[in-house]
Amino acid sequence: MSTVASPALAAKAGAPAAAGVPPLKVEHVAKSFDADGRVVPVIGDLSLTLNEGEIVAIVGPSGCGKTTLLNTLCGLIAPDSGRVSWFGEAMSGQPAGVGYMLQKDLLLPWRTALRNVMLGLEIRGVPASEAEERSHVMLDKLGLHGFADHYPTTLSGGMRQRVALARTLVNEPDVLLLDEPFAALDFQTKLLIESDTAKLVRESRRSVLLITHDIEEAVSIADRVIVLSKRPTRVKAVYDIALGTERTDMIAARESAGFVDYVRRIWSDLDVTRN
Amino acid sequence: MNGSPPPPRAGAPAGVDAAAHAAAEDAASMRLAAHRRSRLRASLLVLASQIALLAAFIAFWEYMTAFDKQAAFMFGSPSAIGGFLLTMARDGSLWRDTYVTGVETLLGFLVGNVIGTLVGLSLWYSRFVSRVIEPFVIALGSIPIIALAPIIIIWFGTGLTSKIAMSTLSVVIVALVTSYKGAVGVDDDQINLMRTLGASKFQIFRKLVVPASLSDIFAGFRLTVGFALIGAIVGEFMSSSEGLGHAIFKAGSLYIIPKVFAALVATIALALVLTFIVGKVEKLLMPWRRLG
Ligand SMILES: Nc1ncnc2c1ncn2[C@@H]1O[C@H](COP(=O)(O)OP(=O)(O)OP(=O)(O)O)[C@@H](O)[C@H]1O
Ligand SMILES: [Mg+2]
Repeated sequence: MSTVASPALAAKAGAPAAAGVPPLKVEHVAKSFDADGRVVPVIGDLSLTLNEGEIVAIVGPSGCGKTTLLNTLCGLIAPDSGRVSWFGEAMSGQPAGVGYMLQKDLLLPWRTALRNVMLGLEIRGVPASEAEERSHVMLDKLGLHGFADHYPTTLSGGMRQRVALARTLVNEPDVLLLDEPFAALDFQTKLLIESDTAKLVRESRRSVLLITHDIEEAVSIADRVIVLSKRPTRVKAVYDIALGTERTDMIAARESAGFVDYVRRIWSDLDVTRN
Repeated sequence: MNGSPPPPRAGAPAGVDAAAHAAAEDAASMRLAAHRRSRLRASLLVLASQIALLAAFIAFWEYMTAFDKQAAFMFGSPSAIGGFLLTMARDGSLWRDTYVTGVETLLGFLVGNVIGTLVGLSLWYSRFVSRVIEPFVIALGSIPIIALAPIIIIWFGTGLTSKIAMSTLSVVIVALVTSYKGAVGVDDDQINLMRTLGASKFQIFRKLVVPASLSDIFAGFRLTVGFALIGAIVGEFMSSSEGLGHAIFKAGSLYIIPKVFAALVATIALALVLTFIVGKVEKLLMPWRRLG
């Protein structure tokens, strides 16, 4: 049985994990869309780096191309120009070791919670008994002990998003790409899931790129916050967040001294009045 | 379903969630029982109203034809229809005709749906191929099935095969279109998720597209039960020596109207039984739909 205790090591055995090579490097990526014959530049010129074990949050005005960026990074759409490197190698096709999660939980209604979590392992041909074992462990870690046999329709929104998180984490990805995964949750549930995510991710030194509309979420969970401009999108500002608290407790983070100041500065960067 | 509430785990992040769930369960199960009772009462009321409506219609029919010889000849009467049903049941023709038509319908239903569903689903694989064949499918789908009957009889003879062919033809295009619609209706985000999990196109097809299309496929099944039956009966009209369509045709040409209605009653019963079976299979194959 493979335990989830040392997943970073297990997962990285195959990857070219030379020290100092960032898991993800984006250089001068640009992307336009064709809308009714007009070319609409969405991503203007974007560069960023995600280091190992780092949580980076991306905030930006609605429609500025955040989802487009994420889809580009995981190989669902191709950029017009620029370079995306995963673990120091130019991207080709779907990157391995990358987990992807959206605001919609996208659980398959005909599968129980457990079988939803097993999906990725099943696809990769992991033996059923091992996949089941690992998925059970992951559900337990996310506080869903006893709900393995429930169908998604019988779970609350928060529980469903926990199952989706388990489905992502059970594959032991080195990097998580999260697109507003907690946006649809109520405040209390959101704080709890954010804390759990931070805990699980930090204890195994996974890297996270988190897209969010919620500036307070970005500041409380991330090591770095990248503010994007309106379309065509560029990096407008970067904040290294130093709160001096345990970075797995969202409530403590929100109560720390620097928190409000960061939020205020990012808020004014976003220029919300224009939207 | 796992009925016992899970024990709350100390230190588990969602322990609060789970504990609240456990505490609420007792009250919830009582509310659920009350809810079930009121739902049962509602459906009993619907059933009673349906029976009353049918009884009123039959009584009206019987009354209108009881004292009027001509009306009785033109419209039959429920008692005469009942009489014919009894005679046909006694001499065995009712069971034989129903059986023959039932077998034709069932085989046509199965062959048409298997072929239609397989083609419809596999069209998901290639947008190019589906665009190429789309006008042909629409053209074939617009042919009134009865227009094909003479050719089918020439090709397949006057026996069972031609009835099954008629039945299959009236099913296959509908099955193809509904299953294709289901397959291309799958959420793009869901497909992208499968891709990021490393799924091949075949894995996406098998683990996502096929199960996601099931409810559309079953909607097609429910629709095509009737079409299969129409195909079989039309086939029997053209040329046959047995079956409910044959019985209707023969009684009609002899102006024995109550006997026509008697065979129609058997046809309706057959349709209801087949639809009921499809519904049962649907529930069996899609257990998650019963929740929600
Ligand atoms: N496939 C496409 N074809 C044409 N235009 C597209 C396509 N995908 C996205 N766009 C356009 O690109 C822009 C950026 O979209 P995107 O979904 O990336 O924004 P976003 O930053 O994620 O927005 P939000 O914060 O609301 O989620 C939008 O104006 C959208 O209309
Ligand atoms: Mg978006």
